[in-house]
Amino acid sequence: MWRGDPSINAYVDGWIAPRLLARHGITLRAVEGQGPEIVNQLLVERDARARGSADLIWINGETFHNLREAQLLYGPWAQRLPNVVYVDSTAPTIQRDFEQPTAGYESPWGAVQFALIYDSLRIPRPPGTVAELARWIRAHPGRFTHDQGFTGVAFLKILLYALNGGVETFQGGFDESRYRRGSERVWAWLDSLRPALWRGGSAYPPGVAELHRLFANREVDFSMSMNQNEVVTKVRQGILPPASRALLLRDGTIANSHYLGIPANAPNPAGAMVVANFLLSPEAQLEKLKPEVWADGSVLAVERLPPEWATRFHGATAAGALSSDSLAKYARPEVAPEYHERLAADWRTRIRAGGS
Amino acid sequence: MSPRRIPIAALLAALPTLVGVGYAAGAATGLIGFGAAGFSLRRVASVLGELTVWRGVAWTLTTAAAATLLATAGAVLVATVFRGTARGDRAARALAVLPLVVPHLVAAAVFVFLFGQSGFLARAIHAAGVADAQGVVPTLVYDPLGIGFILALAWKELPFLSLLAFSVLSTRGPELEETARSLGADRRDVFRRVTWPILWRGLLPGVVAVFAFVAGSYEAAILLAPSEPVALPLLTWERYTDPDLARRADAFVLVLVGIGLAAIAVAVHEWARARWERFEG
Repeated sequence: MWRGDPSINAYVDGWIAPRLLARHGITLRAVEGQGPEIVNQLLVERDARARGSADLIWINGETFHNLREAQLLYGPWAQRLPNVVYVDSTAPTIQRDFEQPTAGYESPWGAVQFALIYDSLRIPRPPGTVAELARWIRAHPGRFTHDQGFTGVAFLKILLYALNGGVETFQGGFDESRYRRGSERVWAWLDSLRPALWRGGSAYPPGVAELHRLFANREVDFSMSMNQNEVVTKVRQGILPPASRALLLRDGTIANSHYLGIPANAPNPAGAMVVANFLLSPEAQLEKLKPEVWADGSVLAVERLPPEWATRFHGATAAGALSSDSLAKYARPEVAPEYHERLAADWRTRIRAGGS
Repeated sequence: MSPRRIPIAALLAALPTLVGVGYAAGAATGLIGFGAAGFSLRRVASVLGELTVWRGVAWTLTTAAAATLLATAGAVLVATVFRGTARGDRAARALAVLPLVVPHLVAAAVFVFLFGQSGFLARAIHAAGVADAQGVVPTLVYDPLGIGFILALAWKELPFLSLLAFSVLSTRGPELEETARSLGADRRDVFRRVTWPILWRGLLPGVVAVFAFVAGSYEAAILLAPSEPVALPLLTWERYTDPDLARRADAFVLVLVGIGLAAIAVAVHEWARARWERFEG
């Protein structure tokens, strides 16, 4: 799993692991590795015909697509978990991962939504749409940028939807000509704003952690996150300024889920399923939802829960967090993974390479 | 060690590298790895045809050469100026070696904290009453010329080359210099004809090692190198972790390019050594 966030590590090592040991006698040892690194690790293990080194992996749609393409996942297993009855099976952002049916090859763990982050003391009235954001950037040269990592590509995808009449344009699988027309508008938008971007659009922070640092140090006035509640935990940890807030653009922001998969070469898939089931339990999902723990969205449907759990979930909204109504209103699903791949690759040649 | 054992020992030391090169060559040409469909030079040709790659190679070569040159000049200066046994000389030598204990990643991070646009320097200038402190501080982080990268790595490599220079001079210097002096050479002649030749021949292997290391440095590059041109190590990792699995092979082509650059540096060193050995022999 990705080990880059102390809150997530504390939840996994300090809350999940001891309970698994006490109740099931399972020793959970979390190790570093995310996205492409997991794919590479499993590819190499298969090439070497080696015994698997992981039983359970934390992945998103992009990695899921790669792992399925390379046939590196064990399954189907996810629908056999007892706690699956609580999962919100009506939410399109849970049942379909980057438009791919999960087909029992991964089990949902958390649901998140993209949000911009701003400092309400610096910007009392932040822009509310992509068009307003463009005007704001022009009026405040050098104060906006995005990162080159996953979060930055999610931002590009939000531009892609917003500048091309919404997510519907790109739904139903990858379409080369739609992508070309749509992405041209994204590059034109970025090109026209380039002089007003941070460093005149000649440099971009490598990852979202560096973008947070630029934002906290007042080099830029916006950061972004693939978890609308990250701002709450990061403010509490003192990483972001105290008046930082999440901001949803009304054109729509990306909502997606992150999942747990079992590698095809996992030494102990049965143990992995016990862990995945516990992670899906109301108890573990509620703990994860708490702003002082991780503030990661639950994948459970509250109305399906036993009444005593439902009330506890209702009372768990974080102070300073966005309301679930406005989140749902602006949530847009992911589209086929090829859009993500192409935006990432073409941004490098069209925007980054032309920037200096 | 008997002469026959030496090749075996050398082979054992080189084995991991040879295996790595073999795997990279296979993965770059479609023989191994994801999507391997038989020998093909398609990925090699496409990677070598990219302007981005050559810009990255040029950036990596020039910054690595500049950092190595700076560190070497510093090491020569420290080793020749402070070579005595006086307390001040000893202190100066100790200080020059001090950065040796700082890991590369920490060195680069400290550099960002000190000289970044919102770093310590900018804050100090701001505290002194300059409103646009961020505009006053030169852009050293993510800067296309890589001046911050060069300075940070030169500082980090200085102690290694200094240590080497101290030991070269103290073991081989005094006797030959004394001989030269007794034969009537003045200070300048002694430096030009004795000290300097001893130094650079002794330092050259270290210089080549530093160059190869800096050219392959990922940790300092990710913190300090520009977004464009993309430093060769960053570009390699970017392709290795590309969301599109088909681009894995590109990374191995770039690995081979990197190994090729280091091999050229080693070859230049071997050539130089052979030349002066012939002179002396």
